[in-house]
Amino acid sequence: MKKTLSILLSILGLLIADGCTNLTEKVLDEASVAGLTDKQAADGNIAPVYARLPDIFTHTTYFALQEISTDEAILPYRGGTDWGDNGIYIALHQHTSTSTDPNIRNTWLLLLQGISRSITAINTLPGINDPNAKTYVAEARGMRAYYNMVMLDLFGIAFVKDDPQATSDILRGEAAANYIKAELLAVEPDLLTTVGPGRLTKGAAWGLLARLYLNYAVYRDRYADTFSPKPEDMDKVVEYCDKIINAGQYQLSKDYFPIFGSDNHTNPELIFAVDQRAELNGHNRLAYFSLSGDQFPIPAYVGANGTDGPAITPDFYQSWVAANPGKDPTIDPRFYKQNLSIYTTPGDSCVAESAFNINRGILRGQQYGLLRVNGAFVKCPNGSYKVGKLFNATRNRPTQPVNFTEKIDYTVAGSDYSTGYRVEKYEFSKKSVSGRNLGEADIVIVRLADVYLMRAEAKLRKSNDAAAALADVNTVRAARTATTPPAALTSMNLDLLLRERGFEFYWEMLRRTDMIRFGKYEGTWTEKTNTDKQKRIFPIPQTAIDGASNLPGYLVQNPGY
Amino acid sequence: MNHHYRFVKPPLPATVLRALLCILLAVTCLPGYGENQAQPRLAQSQTAEQTVTGRVTDATTNEALAGCTVLVKSTGPTSRQKGATTDANGDYRIAIADGKPVTLVFGFIGFVSKEVAVGNQTVINVALSPSAAELTQVVVVGYGSTTQRETTGSIKSIKSADFNRGIINSPEQLLQGKVAGVNVTSASGEPGSTQSITIRGPGGVRTGSTPLFVLDGIPLDNSSTGGATNPLNFLNPQDIEAIDVLKDASATAIYGARGANGVVLITTKKGKAGASSINLSANIGISNLARQLPVFSADEYRRQVVAVGGVLDDQKGNTDWQKEISRQAITQNYNLAFSGGADKLTYYASFGVQRQQGILKNSSLDRYTGRINASQKFLDDRLILDVNLTATYTANERPPIESIVGGAISSNPTYPAYDARGALALYPNGNNPLVPLALYKDVTSINRVVATISPSYKITKDLVYKLNMGVDNSGSTRDVQSLANAVPQQDGRLESAYLTNRNLLIENYFTYTRARGQHNLTALLGHSYQNFFIQGRNWSINKFPISPIEPIYNPGLGQDLTLANNRPGGYAIQNELQSFFGRVNYQYKDRYLLTATVRADGSSKFGANNKYGVFPSLSAGWRLSEEPFMQGSLFSDLKLRAGYGLTGNQEIPAKITQALFTSQVGPSTSYPLDGSTNYPAGTTYTRLANPDIQWEVSSQTDAGLDFALFNGALSGSVDYFRKVSSKILLEVIPADPVQPASTYWTNVPNMSITNQGVEVDLNYRYTSQRGLKFSIGGNITFINNVVRNSPYSVITSGSATGSGLTSATINGYVNGQPIGTFFLKEFTGFDDKGISTYRDTDGDGIVTDKDRISAGSALPTKQFNINGTMAFKGFDLAVNFNGVSGNKLYDNTANANFYKLRLSKGINVTPEAIQFPSESINNSAPVSTRFLKDGGFFRLNNLALGYSLNPKLIGISKGITGIRLSATGQNLFVITNYNGYDPEVNTDRTINGISSYGIDYLSYPKARTFMFGLNLTF
Repeated sequence: MKKTLSILLSILGLLIADGCTNLTEKVLDEASVAGLTDKQAADGNIAPVYARLPDIFTHTTYFALQEISTDEAILPYRGGTDWGDNGIYIALHQHTSTSTDPNIRNTWLLLLQGISRSITAINTLPGINDPNAKTYVAEARGMRAYYNMVMLDLFGIAFVKDDPQATSDILRGEAAANYIKAELLAVEPDLLTTVGPGRLTKGAAWGLLARLYLNYAVYRDRYADTFSPKPEDMDKVVEYCDKIINAGQYQLSKDYFPIFGSDNHTNPELIFAVDQRAELNGHNRLAYFSLSGDQFPIPAYVGANGTDGPAITPDFYQSWVAANPGKDPTIDPRFYKQNLSIYTTPGDSCVAESAFNINRGILRGQQYGLLRVNGAFVKCPNGSYKVGKLFNATRNRPTQPVNFTEKIDYTVAGSDYSTGYRVEKYEFSKKSVSGRNLGEADIVIVRLADVYLMRAEAKLRKSNDAAAALADVNTVRAARTATTPPAALTSMNLDLLLRERGFEFYWEMLRRTDMIRFGKYEGTWTEKTNTDKQKRIFPIPQTAIDGASNLPGYLVQNPGY
Repeated sequence: MNHHYRFVKPPLPATVLRALLCILLAVTCLPGYGENQAQPRLAQSQTAEQTVTGRVTDATTNEALAGCTVLVKSTGPTSRQKGATTDANGDYRIAIADGKPVTLVFGFIGFVSKEVAVGNQTVINVALSPSAAELTQVVVVGYGSTTQRETTGSIKSIKSADFNRGIINSPEQLLQGKVAGVNVTSASGEPGSTQSITIRGPGGVRTGSTPLFVLDGIPLDNSSTGGATNPLNFLNPQDIEAIDVLKDASATAIYGARGANGVVLITTKKGKAGASSINLSANIGISNLARQLPVFSADEYRRQVVAVGGVLDDQKGNTDWQKEISRQAITQNYNLAFSGGADKLTYYASFGVQRQQGILKNSSLDRYTGRINASQKFLDDRLILDVNLTATYTANERPPIESIVGGAISSNPTYPAYDARGALALYPNGNNPLVPLALYKDVTSINRVVATISPSYKITKDLVYKLNMGVDNSGSTRDVQSLANAVPQQDGRLESAYLTNRNLLIENYFTYTRARGQHNLTALLGHSYQNFFIQGRNWSINKFPISPIEPIYNPGLGQDLTLANNRPGGYAIQNELQSFFGRVNYQYKDRYLLTATVRADGSSKFGANNKYGVFPSLSAGWRLSEEPFMQGSLFSDLKLRAGYGLTGNQEIPAKITQALFTSQVGPSTSYPLDGSTNYPAGTTYTRLANPDIQWEVSSQTDAGLDFALFNGALSGSVDYFRKVSSKILLEVIPADPVQPASTYWTNVPNMSITNQGVEVDLNYRYTSQRGLKFSIGGNITFINNVVRNSPYSVITSGSATGSGLTSATINGYVNGQPIGTFFLKEFTGFDDKGISTYRDTDGDGIVTDKDRISAGSALPTKQFNINGTMAFKGFDLAVNFNGVSGNKLYDNTANANFYKLRLSKGINVTPEAIQFPSESINNSAPVSTRFLKDGGFFRLNNLALGYSLNPKLIGISKGITGIRLSATGQNLFVITNYNGYDPEVNTDRTINGISSYGIDYLSYPKARTFMFGLNLTF
């Protein structure tokens, strides 16, 4: 008996020993980083610093925050079925957004991720033996400053963090602006000039510094009744704009819409932009957002259409009308570019696939385009594509034409599918299978025209030098020589300059910042009457406030939310 | 029988069954075979023998009892047990060795066994009495079994005779409504859909509140085995002998870190020595849509569209779209089981087929199961070897449910479904819901094998060592194909996903049993190691040509394959659990009972600083009815019990204790650094580490009373329970938001979720002198769930679906309210323009997310179930009603589809859309309490009527011992205020792993089923 027992116990012992484990979790499907060359390690650290830029610059994130909150864009609850989104776009336009707004939260999270990745890169790159490491550190630090600059502009807050293990210091107001300025200045000498607009270069840093100085008064005293820019700040704006203009590296584009074309990466006007590649990171959201759901811009894909998103407000349209008395605004080449001749020559109803391009700029009235019937485009007998009047077929309204009207508001009639003049500024990517994905155009952050207009503004603000400002404004207007350029202006003041910025930069995600700086953000426009100055910045997302609830007083909600 | 085959479409089960039947019939026609079969072979070879014959009857009815075991019990260490069973007439014949004092033991399930000393008798007739109450019923607990009388925890055992009947896909359905405190809700009416089962309420906010399922000693992994169906569908319900539900911590603590949500132990059927039988059953079920949504008919639609000022697009047809997408569904179920055994060997084997059509077209679930188990004794019965093997193949086809249901309830009913040539009608605008049905296919096939071997060795009289080794391996393939099509144009696409799910178990444990005088002691000590491996892979290919070849059968025909569109995906997870456990049961005088349990669980999921958790429990029972002062009282049983224990929940994602620093080329990690297309692999942290993370802890108190009166005619139990979950696991946002990953996993300090309630079980049974048996029983559960000390203003879940609803959430969990709370704007009516108004609770003049209120919960506060049975002569009847109240449902289907504006645009609706005359046709319908509805219901869930024919009466007594005909109705009626398809629904709208509850969105409608069966026993 004893023997059996001992044999059994030893077998058991073996089994237990076999089964015994130290319970170390084995990770099977995730490659922790190992075995990279120095170049791979260096490139691999700087790429993520930029990698979320396309996501920051989407229709529902930075675009929505910077444009739908202003007089340039309005997004009603289309037909009572689309873009209702729990009321967030109406709240954004009426300045009643709350801390639970998902678009505000997503923008916040993406910017923070950018900051965090920059910190990782700043700490990792110095240990990598690669010739580019020094430049990359400068770029990462500069990008951390850029993301903080956007944070400051949107949320009134900046995060200072160098050690990844430490808790960030939170800065607001002038201290935040000073920090951002110091960082950009510190890295500027190490930045390159030869890597194109997709990365942070010397030119990009100068452009951002000019923008920072131009808005310094706002950041200093966010809720002021009027902003009083310091003359020395304005001198700095002029100084950095001069550096860019005098560098000779950038030129104003002769043609306006190619600045936003699929091949704009080499356009000499671009100073700093989001480098989008269809096969890697590109989205087509900015081109898709405003088009009708019955506009199919590319013959190759029957699934690529618009979505009846935002339109410009009638107020913004009327600013074009007022600026061109007695003439149609199309006289300004920035307003509109016709690519389909059927709009002016009704007989041109067959277009070869290679020649099919939709119109650009601000789209008004009846729209024409590819006719999708039963899921396929109608063709002409010669094999080219039939182009005709569009109807709201995908909206189950096959008899209602896609006829964009000036009127758009939150009334029933004003929020139907076709209300409001639409914007097709960025080119609709020819590769976009769904219309949403595979974008190619670089998204502009800073371009030369902005530099000229910033310099003009600084001169006006510092010493009311209208003549110099007018010269800069007219330089930009006169540069668009591919078509008849807009006529030179004859006078200049801040109101005219803001209007000119609208014409030049509409839907380029500058409007909210501009309106605040020009004191117009509390104004009245279509469906917007809110005059609360506390709405100049957005609420810190509730999730972040909740997350910081264990550190009382650390992350304080902005007033008014 | 022939009429049963009318519905058989594919030939396999029909031919198999036919062949089997032929063989069986041929065999039973052989003269004399029946007698031979009933005779115990072992009895024949002995030299000096005495033969005993006799008849066994039911003492109350004097009816013969067929299938009783008759065992020879003799003294002496080397004696072998011999046995026989009674035939259809209750007769037995047994040979016993001559000259020794011998006792016969007569046993039958549900009856008190009886021992008779043989002496010189050659004829022994025995009358067995039905066993009183359920006191002697065997109850399976972890790593052992006991009797109901001896339990100190809250355990409910359901035997196969009491299971729900009809079309059953998974074990949860067998016990729906049978156990107080257990809430089983099917996600939808889809064949094999997931069943959400909670025992005494959810203890967490994340998914993973399901109980632990243990199959014959193997704890199963609850994660998916592939496809969209319930992973437990692999079990053939007819192989299940009993299901034991361990509810309180004193019962579940033996499963430690996995016990917090309760434990469900499934025991399969085994063979019995000397009782060989063949059971053959064939069932045909007919299912129909139980309730259509009352969308307007073509005529009503024509009137109503115009009445609300819409433009009528009348195509002169009259189409009931819900009818077009649905069908009368046929389910076939065939099962063959045989079992038996002799002295040392017992076995059970079965083969089952269930081919179920869903009531929506292109929807089906087919299951083929094979099972065999055997038990052999060696070494003078000291060594017992048990082996179990289950193999299951399931094939599931799913239609594009949301798109066809959504299409059917909103499509213009004046559009014909088919054109003049009989082909699917195509419209220039709007889609024919039958088109996606024709072009889409989603098929999943799963192979799952569970094998165990568990030898036990009796080391001494008191000490038994048992080894339990098992493997549970499943592999699945899911193919989703879109056929290429010209009109409407669609590119073909094929997506395939492969999933492997494997679970290995090794357990060693010792059981020590000692009875001395008034003292009874059982002790258990063991070690367990379990290893889980899950691996998923997927790939896709686009642009198939229009061709009769389906992409599934030739993926190579696809023309387009790019990383942007077809990046393959995959993951693999391995988890280990190592545990040490022990239990002591002590009884004094058969009336003072004590159970103490402890399990130390280590998991690779836990952080380095918390590898092991210890989960103890203690419970005690006092059998008052055994006390002298209770003698002669009405109570035949009265037991007071109470227990307390700690259990854990380790259903947390893998790898969250480890930081992740990866290097990959992807849209969110890479970026062009130059003009080339060589994009660098971006190195990023994708996860923050939390080495301190640990299991959620549930501390549970239970106090209960078991009672039986009038000799067990009335019995029941009452339990009070309080379950407090703490160290709640959540993915949270760091205080400093500048982090490589925006969230990390942690145990939220101080936060708790409490489930508290009372359960009452009552059963009454009655047997008349004339043989009428009757029982009625029921249970009711009152339960209250509340979240406390959450540091978060609201934890949202339940993303709303539908136009205008993007980004809105439906559930929100806040302090002082239960899990499953609906956190919504409060709908207050319409303004003078007919536009919806909502309460401005913070009074700031505008209605925003800040004005949301807690508007009720999806968790019922009361669950009630009524069961009844009746039997007389050959007839038997069983009914099961179940119901819940106090819960709400969010009708996201109506929210997205049924409001006036939709009708004015020519989209079909139900009358709900026009219920408010003052509503404007321009009024949108954001998420609000407007679509929050009462979710209470009372359902006749199951009604089964059977008739057992006496084989003799129809002259086929040879061999056949039983013929039973049955008819079962499932979901016969529902009383509810809810106006969706069915109030029992739970469309999963989880956000970031936070469970959603009580949302109905375009769910698969429920069926009403009638099933007819024939059961033959040989």
